[in-house]
Amino acid sequence: MNSKPFLPILALMTSSALAAPVMDYNRDIRPILSENCFSCHGFDEKARKAKLRLDVQEAAYAERDGVTPLKPGDLAGSDVWQRIISDDEDDLMPPPKSHLKLTDAEKAKVKAWIEQGAKYAGHWAFISPQRPVVTKGTGNAIDALVRERLKEEGLKPSPEADRAMLMRRVSLDLTGLPPSAEEVQVFVKDASPGAYEQLVDRLLKSPHFGERMALDWLDSARYADTNGFSIDGGRHMWLWRDWVIQAFNDNKPYDRFLVEQIAGDLLPNRTEADLIATGFQRNNMVTHEGGTIPEENLANYNADRVKTLGESVLGLTLGCAQCHDHKFDPITMKDYYQLFAFFNSLSDRGLDGNAGVNPGPFVSAKTVLKTDEVPALQTRIASLKQKLASKDEALFAAWEKRQMSSLSQRGQGFKAHPVKVLKVSTPNRGNGFEMEGENGVRLPQVADLAAYDVAVELPKVAEPITGLRVVFHPVPTLPGGGWGSGPMERKARPAAKAKGKGKAAAPTMENELPKKGSFVLTGIGITVDVNLNDQVNLHKLEKIERTTANSWLEKFPPAAALDPRNDSGWSPDIGTQGDVRLTATFDSPVDSKVTPYLTAQLVFGNGKSMIPGHFEFLVVTGHDDDSDLPEPVIAALKTDAAKRTPEQNEMLWSYCSAHAEELNRTRVDLANAEDRLTALTQPFPTMVMDVSPKPRDTFILNRGNYMQPLEKVSTGTIASLPPMPDGSTSDRLGLAKWLTMKSHPLTARVAVNRVWKMLFGIGIVGTPADFGAQGEWPSHPNVLDWLSVEFMESGWDVKHLIKLIVMSDTYRQTSASSKELIERDPQNRLLARGPRFRLPAELLRDAALKTSGLLVPTVGGPSVNPYTPGDLWREVSHYGSTPATAQTFVQDHGEKLYRRSLYTFWKRTAPPPNMTAFDAPNREVCTIARGNTTTPLQALVTLNDPQFVEAARVLASRALQYQGDEPARLQWAFLEVTARQPKPEEMAVLKSALARERARYAAKPELAEQALSVGEAPRHAAIPAVEHAAWMQIASLLLNLSESVTRN
Amino acid sequence: MNPIDERLLHLTRRSLLGDISRGIGSIALGSLLHPELASASATMLPGFPHFAPKAKRVLCLFQSGGMSHVDLFDDKPMLHKHAGKEIPPSVKGTQRLTGMTSGQSAYPVVPPLKGGKLCGKNGTWISDLLPHMQTIADDICVVKTLNTEAINHDPGITFMNTGSQLPGYASMGAWVSYGLGTENASLPAFIAMVSQGTGKNPGQPIFSRLWGSGFLPSSHQGVGLRPGRNPVLYLENPPGVERDQRRAMLDDLAKLNHLRAEELGDPETLTRIQSYEMAFKMQTSVPDLTDISSESKDTLEAYGPDVHKPGSYAANCLLARRLLERDVRFVQLFHRGWDQHIAIARQLPNQCHDIDQPTTALIKDLKQRGLLKDTLVVFATEFGRTVFSQGKLDDPAMGRDHHGRCFSIWLAGGGVQPGITYGATDDFCYNIAENPVHIRDLHATILHCLGIDHTRFTHKFRGLNIRLTGVEESHVVKSILT
Repeated sequence: MNSKPFLPILALMTSSALAAPVMDYNRDIRPILSENCFSCHGFDEKARKAKLRLDVQEAAYAERDGVTPLKPGDLAGSDVWQRIISDDEDDLMPPPKSHLKLTDAEKAKVKAWIEQGAKYAGHWAFISPQRPVVTKGTGNAIDALVRERLKEEGLKPSPEADRAMLMRRVSLDLTGLPPSAEEVQVFVKDASPGAYEQLVDRLLKSPHFGERMALDWLDSARYADTNGFSIDGGRHMWLWRDWVIQAFNDNKPYDRFLVEQIAGDLLPNRTEADLIATGFQRNNMVTHEGGTIPEENLANYNADRVKTLGESVLGLTLGCAQCHDHKFDPITMKDYYQLFAFFNSLSDRGLDGNAGVNPGPFVSAKTVLKTDEVPALQTRIASLKQKLASKDEALFAAWEKRQMSSLSQRGQGFKAHPVKVLKVSTPNRGNGFEMEGENGVRLPQVADLAAYDVAVELPKVAEPITGLRVVFHPVPTLPGGGWGSGPMERKARPAAKAKGKGKAAAPTMENELPKKGSFVLTGIGITVDVNLNDQVNLHKLEKIERTTANSWLEKFPPAAALDPRNDSGWSPDIGTQGDVRLTATFDSPVDSKVTPYLTAQLVFGNGKSMIPGHFEFLVVTGHDDDSDLPEPVIAALKTDAAKRTPEQNEMLWSYCSAHAEELNRTRVDLANAEDRLTALTQPFPTMVMDVSPKPRDTFILNRGNYMQPLEKVSTGTIASLPPMPDGSTSDRLGLAKWLTMKSHPLTARVAVNRVWKMLFGIGIVGTPADFGAQGEWPSHPNVLDWLSVEFMESGWDVKHLIKLIVMSDTYRQTSASSKELIERDPQNRLLARGPRFRLPAELLRDAALKTSGLLVPTVGGPSVNPYTPGDLWREVSHYGSTPATAQTFVQDHGEKLYRRSLYTFWKRTAPPPNMTAFDAPNREVCTIARGNTTTPLQALVTLNDPQFVEAARVLASRALQYQGDEPARLQWAFLEVTARQPKPEEMAVLKSALARERARYAAKPELAEQALSVGEAPRHAAIPAVEHAAWMQIASLLLNLSESVTRN
Repeated sequence: MNPIDERLLHLTRRSLLGDISRGIGSIALGSLLHPELASASATMLPGFPHFAPKAKRVLCLFQSGGMSHVDLFDDKPMLHKHAGKEIPPSVKGTQRLTGMTSGQSAYPVVPPLKGGKLCGKNGTWISDLLPHMQTIADDICVVKTLNTEAINHDPGITFMNTGSQLPGYASMGAWVSYGLGTENASLPAFIAMVSQGTGKNPGQPIFSRLWGSGFLPSSHQGVGLRPGRNPVLYLENPPGVERDQRRAMLDDLAKLNHLRAEELGDPETLTRIQSYEMAFKMQTSVPDLTDISSESKDTLEAYGPDVHKPGSYAANCLLARRLLERDVRFVQLFHRGWDQHIAIARQLPNQCHDIDQPTTALIKDLKQRGLLKDTLVVFATEFGRTVFSQGKLDDPAMGRDHHGRCFSIWLAGGGVQPGITYGATDDFCYNIAENPVHIRDLHATILHCLGIDHTRFTHKFRGLNIRLTGVEESHVVKSILT
């Protein structure tokens, strides 16, 4: 099922066996033997049948009981051959029950090989690369070697891509972003010979270079923002992600890049950055699922680390040797567990990571991002604060009017009617809660944390029901000042047991939780239905217009109960005497005759505050008689404007500027700017590696089972590869030095292949995670080796390597090609044309953001939550039953909607759907090569996802602001999206589409308004809706062009 | 014919279904295809099925959290005799327990929560908590000896759904989509739906990997179907965009794409044009699927009142029938909340109530419409629950812990003998007495019913020919097959 390497041999084999070309063991024979023979006659001694080995020459040539498996040059005397061609099912090899079968072409190859002397050779990838001889010609060494191969195949290279194609290609490859129309125009006109090289140099210096390069490494390192297993709570690892970006931008030598990530904590004079780097092998999934067994979890974590190291750095499927010696490659179980031992010395625990707190060990550290943003940010923050502080009279007047109107309605026609409580439930308790009276719930004993769902029958009232009220009664018999029970005082977080300097972490909501003796309602949800629902229905939550209360702490206002996350909520002032209550007013009133049942979910989710002991449910008709305004604000509003004191005026504006809808955007911008400043200047927790004071012993585990330890082993590397350099230590630093020694046959090749894959869509080795016997023979072994040697000799200079490749004629070829060539070489393994592939998920969204002008190009920082439909997290999560973070999705606003996609919060159990539709992995395990599919679900994303629809809207307004007539604007938009000028036929299609859309919206202007309503970016006020909406459809058309999602 | 169209005709099914290792290719959508290639044979792997299948489709009703076999399907006289007494050490053995109960000082036996009846011609015992299900005893085959090594949810549920306890593997539905392709070109081949249990809400978390494609092309991942205006994410046109307008826009898009594709000789663009056409079709085929206004009053009543609650198990059951009617290859429901460590007396009746009537109605509905005979129904869970109590007896908070050594599931429909019971546990329904069925055996059997030899159904990844049934021994449970 795997595609086979593209070999000239295949064509030759079919024509005539007599003319059989010379067989190369590694290229032609090993893959056949590996696939069909080695699992029973290979390296794994336990699995070996008939004690016969065919993977080494001596064993295969040796006569046993009068039979010789392989007799060089002698088909009749070679038992292997006789078995392959046997008619007798009992003799036939591979045996029929294995379902393995040699094809005729494979048989012909084996036959020729035996006839030619059955010569074995060491596996190419385990022999250190040597720089091949390159014959001079045009282009660089890559071109010379690629052309040699093309010549053998009778093919010619394609001409250079036109400037536009080339610029878009190299820009996307090196920065992940397409060039602007203007940049393309300049480059296309620049006829100077050095123009392309200058472009390449400029792109390599871009801060976006690191972002582009990081993407593949984040897949390899299974980087994500949640713990992965079970409850999948949040974690903080973005400091590591930013370390990777900065490392690429600094052009950190690749050997150093690896050493710091594998052993940064063990380096002499290690820095904070070195510690952050070690997060690479902490990105594995972890669990704190109750009931799981820590030893088993730890064994799984270390197995994942060995697997990741193997696939991402060594190009070896080391995981195979967890349960038995590797069947295809010379890797023993002992080798495996010696590698395992390097990571088994951490102080990590088998159950850890609850509550959005990083599993240990972790440190608090500052980001390594180099940025000059801070002064500008400070200025921006000051100016936004200033804007909020300076009274806007008109705005204030409007706000005041609304408040006065609301206050004048307050309590009008108000009535509260008791409901009838029918059922109470909570996920983790069978008792400790009961109904009291008609409409009450009592919790005489309280769980640590819980969501309570209360299903009620609504009273039959004539008036429409406008809201729900929950009244909390003091219960003098309960501790905690009478409000309830549970934690009286906020539990202090256990201090980080991590190494490193114990700087205070950045301020969080946690530091502001109410003190002693109060409860926090962290979320409220309501479902109204024809039928009774035991719990709220996630798919049928009432929209709540506002929440009010009769008491609250300043940081815990009633509105905060509408944010479902556990770190915000409503908390009444502990000093309040008598009942406290919260009232939720519905967006649209409810008729109890139509929908007689209501279910309310009260979440007390922070696990650190009390849970109230007695509450009642009422429904409200008429206007709520409470207010969301604090009493002093109400008093001031009710005071005649002329008579307000200066303090009152100041307070009113301050309240207005903190709450008025008109200033939402300013407040969001301020909060985002402050977050950004905090991220750049304050320490944050990040997971690291360390050495435990009492490192665990490592044993070979029988069949990989943690319960069955066999022989004890210490750290060590793979015996069949070159040994560790002299003087190496036996810790991870020694491992890192071994990986990066220049005689290592794999490290450089695997790295070069990864870069090649990024630039050509497929590696020189088509199985980039497997350079072993089961891996593909390289399409251009000499190119791989030439580049690997060059890479190491250049001091592992990543930018040098990339520049070499993108400067080659091979890379610069046009991707336009003939049908014949595509038929001949569908995967372009021979490189007779330029590479073409669909953009990875992240780049596709980034391109839409960039061309629309929405992209916020800042680098790094905590992950963000852009537009995502619904609350996909909560459908699968443990929300309401855990203090863990990342259980409910809350969308961000402002600039956080427009960050590059690699900053999108990655929840492993529910990754962003507009990314996974385009083959983004869930980041649970190491991913080396993403798929590249084409599906209708992808079309739905780029056509209908608000992120793309908004991008089309904003791109349209950019086009409409472009100075020029309609054709010029169309040309500009086309150029901006595709980086080339449209052809007349294409212009004709666009023009007629625009005319059609314009006519449509002119006839239905209300549709134009609707179309323009998507997304939070402000509309350009001066652009008429009909014109804007019509252009928006053209913009969407352009963003959906196959060319736009493809890198040609 | 222009060279590109000609090229398109040469595209093989492999490239259309998106083999990762190939550079070109690959439509298939959560598995939609070219109309012209939409016949089943065109979307199957070459050589599939391996033999004549008994079932064309699979319906998996997955009860997530660990459904109690003790309470619902596997009553024994000994449990009543021994009620409240310590489970004999010879029965309990020394194998590992979860961290939830491994520290308990006593392990008293708790008989089933409620009585039950011997139902159907062969007297299959089913709990009175499942009164509707008792009426279909003659249609189902209860397997009492499922077993798994996993004793906790994440590994357990991942094992049952992907054949591995650790992440990174392909789900059952993805495997089936990969092997057998689709028979309906305008709907995905693998659809997954999630509902919340009312016994314990939220239940144990679930994960998209349970319907993920793992190492298979991502086009085989299960497509989520959810209530509301976008049953498939991003399905609906944005506001202010009408259907005929979208049509005209797609025509323009195709024109522009054709122009450029011819210039560059890019067959992938042709595939992409088709994918947009399929998306356009889905915009009507999916709402048509989820619109239940044409269902008769009798049908709706049969599924119970919850059928009107968006996203409920009952609503999903009705959608499942509508999907199977449309020949969707693999339909899977996940119902959460079966993790009764605590307050089983309070939680279990609710969980049972959620699923009893809708499941029964669905089986009867499929049968009545002639769909049951070639649909394999798998009613499963990740493990059972301990016969002994978690917590103290007579405490309302008492529950049962996880139990992987034996648990009950049932199968029905295509290829499976109806009205029988297979396998037996010991007197304490704690260990297997005869005919064990490992999760791998279940997987092998499911594939067998679909005409697939599990040993020959492999995907090469990281140098290995990986199977759903893994590398350990596994067998088709032939005794239960028709």
